[in-house]
Amino acid sequence: MNEIITTFAQALEKADVKPDQVCVPSDILFEPETVKRFGFDYFHTTRGRAIAFGTGLKLANPALKVVPFAGDLMTIGGNHFVHGSRRNMELTVICINNFVYRKIAGKSAPSAAQKFSPYSTFEEPFNIPHLGNSCSAIYTARWTALHTEELAASIAEALGKKGLSVIEILAPGPDYYTGISKVNVDLVRFYYDNSEIRNNEDPKNVGIKPDSRIIVGKFTSKERPTFIDQYNAQLSSVLGEKFIPHGIRSGADPGGKNGGD
Amino acid sequence: MKADQRDVLSGVYYIDGDVAAGYGALAAGCKFIAGYPITPSTEAAEAFARIAPKSGALFIQMEDELASVSAIVGGAWAGAKTMTITSGPGYSLMMETVGFGAMLETPFVLLNIQRGGPSTGVPTKTGQADMMQARWGSHGDYGLIAIAPESPQELFDYTIKAFNLAEKYRCPVMIMSDECVGHMTEKVVIPPAEEIEIEPRRWYTGSPDEYVPFKPDKDLVPRMVKAGSGHKLYISGRLHDERGYPVDDEHYKLKYVRRLVDKIKCNKDKIIELKEEQIDDADVIVVSYGISSRVAIRGIEMARERGIKVGSLRLVTVWPFPDERITELAKKVKALVVPEINYGQVVFDVARCCHGNANVVLVPHGGAGVHVPDDICDAIVSVAKEERKIEEVIEFKTKLEISVFGGGLKSKE
Repeated sequence: MNEIITTFAQALEKADVKPDQVCVPSDILFEPETVKRFGFDYFHTTRGRAIAFGTGLKLANPALKVVPFAGDLMTIGGNHFVHGSRRNMELTVICINNFVYRKIAGKSAPSAAQKFSPYSTFEEPFNIPHLGNSCSAIYTARWTALHTEELAASIAEALGKKGLSVIEILAPGPDYYTGISKVNVDLVRFYYDNSEIRNNEDPKNVGIKPDSRIIVGKFTSKERPTFIDQYNAQLSSVLGEKFIPHGIRSGADPGGKNGGD
Repeated sequence: MKADQRDVLSGVYYIDGDVAAGYGALAAGCKFIAGYPITPSTEAAEAFARIAPKSGALFIQMEDELASVSAIVGGAWAGAKTMTITSGPGYSLMMETVGFGAMLETPFVLLNIQRGGPSTGVPTKTGQADMMQARWGSHGDYGLIAIAPESPQELFDYTIKAFNLAEKYRCPVMIMSDECVGHMTEKVVIPPAEEIEIEPRRWYTGSPDEYVPFKPDKDLVPRMVKAGSGHKLYISGRLHDERGYPVDDEHYKLKYVRRLVDKIKCNKDKIIELKEEQIDDADVIVVSYGISSRVAIRGIEMARERGIKVGSLRLVTVWPFPDERITELAKKVKALVVPEINYGQVVFDVARCCHGNANVVLVPHGGAGVHVPDDICDAIVSVAKEERKIEEVIEFKTKLEISVFGGGLKSKE
């Protein structure tokens, strides 16, 4: 987790985004200590609501860069992901996948799954980039936490894009699930060693299956008007001059540094 | 601070309560509503969606109520005044995040046009059975404010007041209206912007490096900043210290959660609004809120015609509860009659505050309709004649219930 935040900070630098424009709403499963040090605003929200909370931040102040970090994105927060992608809300979604629901390549992930499913799991996992792409997300990628350079490059690229991007990061669960951090290191090493970079691969082929290589890479990148762009276009075509485009009054801080109207 | 002219649709209207609430939200400076359609609250969202784009505000239909309330808490932290609109089932779904908003001391407004429950219940007809859920619906201890308007005009006026209270005390404010008021069409007067008082946010204006997010002012309410303005916020739904950093121990639990409760409790004299009529000579007082107050007016008149000295105490703010005033009145009168469209919610708080000094009578109504004034009158008359002190809440069976179940005050014996 903390390593991912460090990589994220490198990506901000790379993309030339100042930390104080950045808001990171996260859901419950993601709460790294290091977020205190990098100078962006962090919100530890309720289970699965990082994207919903982030949607509110973005719509109330379109000048913000909102980067939801999600740990329970595909379960309790699944609907928000699907609709956020469909609307093309301007969010850079970082989804940390620790395989709570899946054993991988014959090895059971040392995560909450062991406690909840002592006899291992058998459910099919989501193919997150494929789901995002089918819901019209404009950018999809997957890396392991050890692909630090590629990951930082992907995040930086996604931050520059207008719309919903999703970057899946394969990373072990937090230390308190595994007990010994050595297990974490071993496991993330295992993900890394068993991965295969296939940039531009069709996301429908990148599902994670037991006993096969993990496909990582930057899969898709396209352009599509954002929610706010579409909203402004639609409303001005109907209301004409009566319409005050979104972001004029609620946006880039009319009332000075702290205030607003 | 006065309302912005661009937000106030001054004029005289003939509109329903839902629409009046939508207009009230805009006048109060609300810039962002996220909601999910649900009868009978939908007209309020529609009204806001229609007028918002012309004044730079935004309505978004989210994927569900969980997303709606999460988005408005996020929106509030980004600096906007925000609200969501719902009814019964949606209200239940929102509860987790109401507590989250309270924990983060987020100012936001939740309009609940109550309908008949439980479950899907009676979507198109009225109820007042969410009153306790408003107060205790989310897990954990926290304080909040709930207002019960009784007319479309009040839905306009008290929506503005709800925003003002939310900003002042940085807590969720519930507008607990109901289908009957929401769908009632009456004259609504929207005054000029310069006559509307708006509470600005409690901005922190010092240096960003010295900002402590949860350090309270003297009235126990901390100051707020906008997300993305360089304050390195760490804002968490976990128990936290004044900096916002998570802590687990008893000391902070006592200090911090206690303040969430106390900031409402200690300021309750400033928050509570009551309307009292004919209290001075009264032997019996009708304690009511929302639509039941309007029905009670006729019930009280009828009882007065029959020679009973009866007054009215209307709870405009239901939460926080006016404990002291009820205790004081209970010492002077024989009984308090509480009509509500449920099988007993607010009546138990009335009874708690009476300390056995007066009889407390519930006039229940199952919902999907309002009381018949005769029922309230009959309850007043029978309790005025009652010689005994009865310790528990007496349930007065209404005419409809007598015909279905039998009984009444006398069946208690």
